[in-house]
Amino acid sequence: MSTDNEIIERSLHSAGAFAEVFDRHARTVHRYAARRLDAGAADDVMSETFLVAFERRAAFDGSHDALPWLLGIATNLIKKHARLEARAWKGLVASDLGRVDIDAIEQAAARLDASATARRIGGALRRLPAGDRDALLLYAWGDLDYEGVASALGVPVGTVRSRLNRARRKLRIAIDPGAARDEEVDHGRIVSASPDSL
Amino acid sequence: MDELSLLRRIRSEVREPEQAALDRGRAALLERAGTEAGMDARAGLAVQGARVRGTTPDAAAAVAKRRHPVRWVGLGALGAGALTVALIATNVLGFAGWRGGAEPAAADALQAAALAAVENSDPVVAPGQYLLVETDAVYGNTTYTEAGDYVSYLTMNRDKLYVPADRSDDWVWVRSFREPYASFNAEGKALAQKSYDEEVAEADGVPELLRAPDAQFYGNSTVPDFDALPRDPQQLLNYIYKVTAGGGNSADGAALGWIADTLRTGVAPADVRAALYQAAAGIPGVEITEQVANLDGRTGISIGRVESADNSRQDLIIDTQTGALIGERRVELGDEGWGFPAGTTTGFTAVRTSVVDSAPEGGTQNGQFDREGCVDKGNGNFQC
Repeated sequence: MSTDNEIIERSLHSAGAFAEVFDRHARTVHRYAARRLDAGAADDVMSETFLVAFERRAAFDGSHDALPWLLGIATNLIKKHARLEARAWKGLVASDLGRVDIDAIEQAAARLDASATARRIGGALRRLPAGDRDALLLYAWGDLDYEGVASALGVPVGTVRSRLNRARRKLRIAIDPGAARDEEVDHGRIVSASPDSL
Repeated sequence: MDELSLLRRIRSEVREPEQAALDRGRAALLERAGTEAGMDARAGLAVQGARVRGTTPDAAAAVAKRRHPVRWVGLGALGAGALTVALIATNVLGFAGWRGGAEPAAADALQAAALAAVENSDPVVAPGQYLLVETDAVYGNTTYTEAGDYVSYLTMNRDKLYVPADRSDDWVWVRSFREPYASFNAEGKALAQKSYDEEVAEADGVPELLRAPDAQFYGNSTVPDFDALPRDPQQLLNYIYKVTAGGGNSADGAALGWIADTLRTGVAPADVRAALYQAAAGIPGVEITEQVANLDGRTGISIGRVESADNSRQDLIIDTQTGALIGERRVELGDEGWGFPAGTTTGFTAVRTSVVDSAPEGGTQNGQFDREGCVDKGNGNFQC
């Protein structure tokens, strides 16, 4: 099977070959966009992502996997839908946390807890700096590794690491208000050779 | 469940795109490709024409560029893997020294502190006496409010650690409540007070008191095994890089953090302190950040490094005359959205040591966990 870069290189001479890139990755791009926006907007983002990618294919970096590049383009296009995305975060409800688990939760109190958690996550995501949020969602929803996120966003891996650290910590505190305090205290409390204490 | 797995579940059941949407997207792409194929043919003609005329029109340049995509291969992953292997393979051939070290002036100051640490011998603790290590520590606390804002404030712990002359005897540790220390707005001030009141109420107003042989508090030793640490600075630094690998925001930051943690215990022997200072001199990016830094009314030279990953700076403040660690601090260099103004010192510890004749009575190995009737599950884990 050809790698993505081979297909893209072929499409430089034979433009129609680019359709293969679409067939491979369109669903993943759609899924990523639909989670950030909604299914309708995701249709547009998916379509436009491949048009932009096609226009820029000469500048593709030659990686075997084009997905980081495509998700990076989709991430840029999602910016045009900032208001829609903000609304999506605001409307995050318990059922967004996964239907199976909510069905399994029988106590009303636990369900309330899930609603509150969903609201807090939504609020935290909405307030993250855009670059931090992009890194976090490419990592968590785009299933990219650090290198992939770095390539998608065109930033160094170190920047990805710090953005992810910061975003995860903010999310952690949003979910569990006691978390940050405990981390700080643990840091002061345990001094041992274990890397966990650092 | 951690925040990442929770996030991964959000909208994980989003539906697949409709076939019609896929078809539309694919058709739009092919249409664009078809148009460009026509353009390519025209551009090709233009190139031929240009050659004849000896000029290079833009269209020809564009085609040439498109035919030769820029290539580069990421070496990040490979490089990191290679380093890790070398690091694990041996203590001697490790990270230390490969990438330079501290700024020369900082290295000199650390060297002076190391020499002073050895010359100024440890205080003599006679049998029955205790070395008292008083640590005032300020920590940053951040809360996410119902309104969706991050509000931060600083709290202070004033802990007293009584170290027996024979270190296998009982150590005693009095841990204070987290008193409000500083806040940056009314909301932070109220939160700090509320948190303090709750903590005091939960403990019935009695600060946590721990007692354990060999510093085995909370089921773990709270001090490193000093005998096992290399005294050779380079080997020590390699050891530190090894035990901290993967921790913190960067290898160098985690290494300096480990050194600060170890010095902060106040019980590191003089030769270990000296080696730790010399090891710090081997960490790239370590520099003198303030010639005369004041902490808790005492002054020393501030040596630290900037952590670009989270835009903060960590400093050790050292009395180079005696080689004593006065304390350490952490400074937020920018506003990272936590509710700390840029430039805030978001954490510092000040350490004082003295010799005393007695320690408080009472206390249990696991302090608050024992009070609450928690079950020790081993390895520092408790079920409450």
